[in-house]
This record gives sequence, structure tokens and C-alpha cells, in this order.
Amino acid sequence: MRIFQSWRYPANWTIFRLDDRLLLILVAIIVGNCSGLASVILNRALMAMFNWFHHLHHYWWIFVLPAIGAALSSLFLEKIVKEGAGHGVPEVIYSVSRYGGLLRFRSSFSRIISSALTIGSGGSAGPEAPVVISGAAIGSNIAKYLSLNDRQRVTLVGCGAAGAISSIFNAPIAGMVFAIEVIIGEWKSVHIVPIAIASVAGTEISRILQGNQIPFSHRLFNISQMDIFACVGLAVLTAAASILLTRLLRSMDKTAKKLPAPLWIRAAIGGCSVGLIGLFLPEVLGKGYHVVQATIEGNFSQGLAIVGLATIAKIVATALTLGWGGSGGIFAPCLVIGSLAGLTYHHGLALLWPSVPWVNQGCFALLGMAGLISGMLQAPLTGIFLIVEITGGYEVILPLIIVSAITTSLCHYIEPAAYYMKELVEYGHLLRPGTDARVLSDLNVSELIEKDCIAVTQNMLLRDFINIVKKSHRNYFPVEDEETGHFMGIIHLDDIRQYLFNPVMYDTVFLSQIMNTRVEVVYPDDDLSDVIRKMDANRLFSMPVVVNNRFIGLISKGNLLDQYRKELMVQTSQSI
Amino acid sequence: MNHQLLHIFRNSPLGRETLLQSMYFSKQVKISPVIYIPKSTKFLMYFENDVVQIDLDNSYLMSSDTALEHATEILERAGIEPRFLEPKHYTASTLPDIHTNFDYMSCPRSISDLSSKIGLGYIGARVRRIVKSAQFPVLITSPVYKEWESIAVFFGGSVNAFNALKVGFRLCRISGIPLDVFTLLENKSQESYEKLIKDENLETEMSRYVNTWHFLRNKTIEENLYDVPHNALVVLGAYGHHLLKTFVFGSKMEKIQSTISNNLLIVGPNYTAAI
Repeated sequence: MRIFQSWRYPANWTIFRLDDRLLLILVAIIVGNCSGLASVILNRALMAMFNWFHHLHHYWWIFVLPAIGAALSSLFLEKIVKEGAGHGVPEVIYSVSRYGGLLRFRSSFSRIISSALTIGSGGSAGPEAPVVISGAAIGSNIAKYLSLNDRQRVTLVGCGAAGAISSIFNAPIAGMVFAIEVIIGEWKSVHIVPIAIASVAGTEISRILQGNQIPFSHRLFNISQMDIFACVGLAVLTAAASILLTRLLRSMDKTAKKLPAPLWIRAAIGGCSVGLIGLFLPEVLGKGYHVVQATIEGNFSQGLAIVGLATIAKIVATALTLGWGGSGGIFAPCLVIGSLAGLTYHHGLALLWPSVPWVNQGCFALLGMAGLISGMLQAPLTGIFLIVEITGGYEVILPLIIVSAITTSLCHYIEPAAYYMKELVEYGHLLRPGTDARVLSDLNVSELIEKDCIAVTQNMLLRDFINIVKKSHRNYFPVEDEETGHFMGIIHLDDIRQYLFNPVMYDTVFLSQIMNTRVEVVYPDDDLSDVIRKMDANRLFSMPVVVNNRFIGLISKGNLLDQYRKELMVQTSQSI
Repeated sequence: MNHQLLHIFRNSPLGRETLLQSMYFSKQVKISPVIYIPKSTKFLMYFENDVVQIDLDNSYLMSSDTALEHATEILERAGIEPRFLEPKHYTASTLPDIHTNFDYMSCPRSISDLSSKIGLGYIGARVRRIVKSAQFPVLITSPVYKEWESIAVFFGGSVNAFNALKVGFRLCRISGIPLDVFTLLENKSQESYEKLIKDENLETEMSRYVNTWHFLRNKTIEENLYDVPHNALVVLGAYGHHLLKTFVFGSKMEKIQSTISNNLLIVGPNYTAAI
């Protein structure tokens, strides 16, 4: 029994008491393997579905297939697993920000099945966000099972996300950078080491089960200085595409929510629309990696107008799939849109300056991919490392950096929050460690209440009150009703000095005459950020906390600052 | 009265009985009830080391236009100021988070399954998860409103049993309602249980608060339960000593909840009691 019990609490093992980073590294290997396996399962499922449905593509009615897939996906999420959630990555970031990375167990498999249905049937979405939430949920639940603390759990959530991305793209550095830059938002060695280990584990699992292949191989590019200058224009184009995709996704989402129909019908409408687009432009269907491969290899032979149209069509198809309730992520669509945008740009350059020896179109496709990823995620490092790793194209690192940096900056200027974080920022849920909002969210009114206040009654004479003041070290005195005990108001010594130093008043003034009855009060459920806003607006240093009309204590700025400092030190310390 | 009880309101006759029980409990132990009227069938409860998704039975959303009115009426009749919980945070647009900074929670035996399943011996999976994860005791109400006039604590010597005993002391201290302790003598002697109390330095509280300490001598726990007053609030720990104590309820807890129809206050493994 003792052995069994000790399994549940590995943090108590002697070896891990010496350095609990060892514990995280060990668990990170397990999490990385599990999340890598989840990615492989989804990848295999998508391949199988592609093979099943591929021979049906010449039938006219094939446009209903994405509708059926999206509807089934929505029904599965809503009725069977009852997820009631969005695309995944925002939920992971929300949980890391607010609840120490707690995620539901059902999330470790639900999105894999739902996204397989959506993408496998032709929906325009990617498998990356689903595997990120699956990996993150695996990490979170393993941490929960082992009774690890919040910070350890957050690290394992990052490990799960890193393992999943590393596995699905065979790109360990991109997985690691994504987990730290997007999911955790905190570059600290306590996170970096386990996440790096999980990335390696996830990649290895993928390589063992699927082989060690670069997803998008290409030939070498000879990049001239003219090409590097031209990258600025490409960055502007990819930024525009990113903004268009972000806004279209949100507007589709809003439009779909206005439709008085069940979720699965909305998803089916979106899927059907995508299927119709796919009848004319099949490039928009599915995750679209074959399109990316063709553009990078220079085999996408269409002209400027068709490529431009395909870019717009893919943006619309992605917005229709995800905005109307399909399940999937935006990584793969970004790669496709980016490669098509790059190709469009290359064709445009070649048309305007035909005498300039521009680098091969594949190079611009590759740079466009980096631009879209960086623009949508506003995570330039993820964009750079992902493209370098999935294409093996280190020789394009300079223009990659330029495109990623400019696209991120432009997108940030126009849309201050990345696609994944837009709603979180709007609702104040993006709470990165060490920030004011995060520190305040980790404290609550109940733990700041000071209860050593002396309550007085409204019918008390000033003389009796002065005797109480002599015994108290506080400046605030709550006034309560003698019979009901209800909070009536407060006396602040600063407000009644003229009475305190006038003995004539001592036996003539009752507290009801001098108390402040128009008091802003705080409730134990209030957010501290709201409490501070009230204090600042009214220039208050203390406020009474009231429950059911009864005074239960004071909350003061001094005590708040003490606790704030302590919490900030905890959050910014390196230790786990 | 700054301690709070969370109650999820079901706008149905069964929900009314449950709310009446919550009101009675709140008044007896001088706590303030906070009522959540759900607007969707799903919500999340984030505990310290677990997140529990509550998938409510559809009857919780029945006649949503009258829910607030009905709940307010019951609260006002009980002389309690209505306080309703509005979720401030959402994990997803249709998935509100309900905070868990409460001192008690009240619910029927099941909140996710059809109410027709509710009966002796059945405690729903979600209620079990809440008991397991919560840092507060959970009041599982009897199907019909029943006032309790005494407190009966089941004490078997486990960590949770000590927590249950301390909760019993506290309820007795606050409410002034008589407290009885019940212990099933299995293979142990009466003295061994008294020694446990002594080792935990709870002798003073035992003599101060406990009316009678009943040592049950019949072979099976079911045979002994007739001695528990029908109008007692039964307080007990959810998990015992056995190997899987953090996974499944203790066998005695299961037998007790299968046999008696009293209101049950269940103390889970994450609750740390203070007297």
C-alpha cells in the first residue's frame, strides 16, 4: 500500500527532493511521448480519411462531404464529449493564465477525433491546434495525477504542447519555441529544459513511427540583395493576408452565432460552402500540404490571377470552416495561404520587373509561410524556426527574419492581439506571469481582509467613541446598527478631527451625525483590479468589506501592497 | 456570517426541496447562501488540483424565466437576503467558470443525471468528483425537505473521520444543536478509539460538544444505522483507510448513504477542518 501511495506523490521521492527539476524532466519525457503519439494518431487518421475519400472527388455531390464532416465533428464535441469550447489553443492559454494549467481530461482526445472528422472530410483547417490542446491536456492530467503544484503543471502543459507540435511537424525547436513564446509566455530555464526534453521526445516518437522526413523539402535558393529588399513588400502582403484572415474568422464566427440554428447545422453550412469552393478550387480543401509542397518546389504552374484567387479562396474557406463551427487549427491554413501569397507576390514582381533575376518562386512561398505564421500568432520566433525546420532551408534565414519581424510588427500595429489571444485580451484573461493583472488575479479579497477593526454603533456618544479610539491603532471604525448588526457607515478619523478636538461636542454629538454613510464597499467576490480602480477613483486608502449587509473587515492599500510584493516575488522567482 | 454555501438552483419541485434544505442548513450554522441559477447546462469548477465539468441535468434550465423569482421567494420567506452568483469568467463562450471559494456546497445526490435516478445508494459521478476535489464539505440533501434537530458524526478513526468530527464540533458550537458520535466497533476495542481521540488532543472538545458517543456493536453497519435519529444531520468522511482511498468512496460511506435518507454532510480528502 505504501508503495502504491508513494507513486502518487513522486515529488516526495528522495531523488526529486534533491532537485525537483529532475522530476519535471522525467515527467516531460512521458508527456512528450504521449503528446507525440497523439499527433501521430491524428496524422494517421487524416491520411486514412484522405485515402478513403480521395476516389470520390470526381463526383459532383462531393461538396457535401465537408458539411457532413463538420456537422459530425460539431455533434461529437457538443453532444458526446460535451466540450462546449472553441479551437483549443486559446483555452490552453486561458487555463495557463488563470488556473495553473488545469485542463479537462476529455480535452486530451476530443479535438483529435473532431478535427479528424472536419479536416479529413475536406474542411479547410489544420491539425496543429487540436494536437496542441490534446498534448497540453495530457500534460495537465499527468501533473494532476502526480499531485504536482501549479508551476510544475504549467510547465507540463507547455511540454505537452511542445511535444505535439514537434511531433506533427518533425520540428523540435519550433515546438519548444511555440510552447514558450505562445503558450507559457515566460522564458525561464525552469520551463525551457523540460520543454526542450519533451520536444525531443515528441519528435522521436514521430520519427520512429512515421520516419524522419522533412515535411516540405526543396532545392537550394540563391538569394540576392534585390530579393532581400523585395521581402519588405512580401511582409506587407502577408500582414494584409493575416489581418484579413483574422477579421474574416471573427466576422464569420459572429455571423454564425446570429443564426438561430443548432451548432451542427451551422458547421454543416460552413462545410458545405467550403465544399462548393472546393469544386472549383480543390486547393482549398483539407490541410493543403500538397499545395505547399507544389509551391515550394516551383510546380504550382498557375498564373498570377489564379494564384491570387486561390489565396483569397483559402482565406475564405478557412474562415468558413473554423468560423462556422468546424474543428481544427490555423497553422496549416496559414502555411497554405502564406505559400500562395508568396507565389502571388513572386508572380507580381516578375510581371512588373521581368528583367530582374528574382530568386525561385519557391523561396517566396516559403517566406510567405513564415510571414503568415508570424502575423497570425504574432510570434516571430515560432514562424522563423518552424519554416527553417519544416523546409530545411537555413539559407533563407535572413529574409525569413525580415519577413517575420515586419509582418509581426505590422499586424501588432493594426491588430494588437494575436488571433489566439484576441478574445483573451478583450476579456482581460491573458495574464502572463509577473504582470500586474496576473499578480492581482492570484490574490483575492478574502485573503486581504483585516479583521482587527473595532465596530461602533450609531447611537454611541462621541465621548465613548474617543475612549475606543484611544485603545485602537486604526483610523477607520465601522458603524453598525445596534439591533440588526447591519453596516451603516464608517468613521474615518481624518474626517472628524474638528469634533475630536472640541470637548463641547463630546456629549452632544452621536456617531450617526458624523459617520460617512455614502461609503463605497467591497464584496468578497470582487476582483481586486476592480477594488483598486474604486480606491484610485475615490482616492481611498481603505474600504470596508461587507457581506449580507454585515461588516466583516477592511481592505487597505498598505496590506494589498505587501501581499502584491510577496506574490510578485513568487511569480518572478526561478524556483518551482 | 461571512461563510458561504454554494447552491445550484434547479427550478423544479425537487430543486425547491433542495433549496429549502440549503436555507435551513444556512440558518442553523449561520452562513450565507449564494445561489447560482445556471443559464447553460455546462459549467466548470476549478479546484486546487482538478477541474470538474458539471453537465447539468436539463431540468436545471426548466422555466428559466421564473427561476429567479422562485429562488428569491424561497430565500425571502426564509428571511435570507438573496445573493446570486453571476459567473465572471468563461473558459469558452458557453462554458462559465464557477469559483470554488466557498465553505460549503449543497446539492442533491445527482446533478448530471435524470432526477428519476436519485435514490438511496446512488450518488452521481459529478457529485463524487466534487466531494473528492473540493476544499469544502458537501451537503447532500434528502429528497424532501427535512429539518434536523441533532448532528450525528460517524467516526472511524481515519484522517477524514477526524475532519468530519471537527466539522461536527464546529456545527455544534455555532448552532447549539446536540451532537452525537457513532463508531462501529469492528475488530477494535472502544479504548482504541478513545486513545485515537486522546492522541489527537480532542478530549476537551469531545467532552464539551458531544452528547453521547455511541459504540455500535452489531455485526454489520446496516444493522446499526437504525440507532441514528431520523432527524439528524449525518456528518461523515468520504474516504476511509483502504488502498484506493483517494479513488473511490469508503465502503462504510457507501453503506451509510445506501441505507439512510438523512441529510448528509460529506467531508472529502482535500478539506482541512478547523473547529
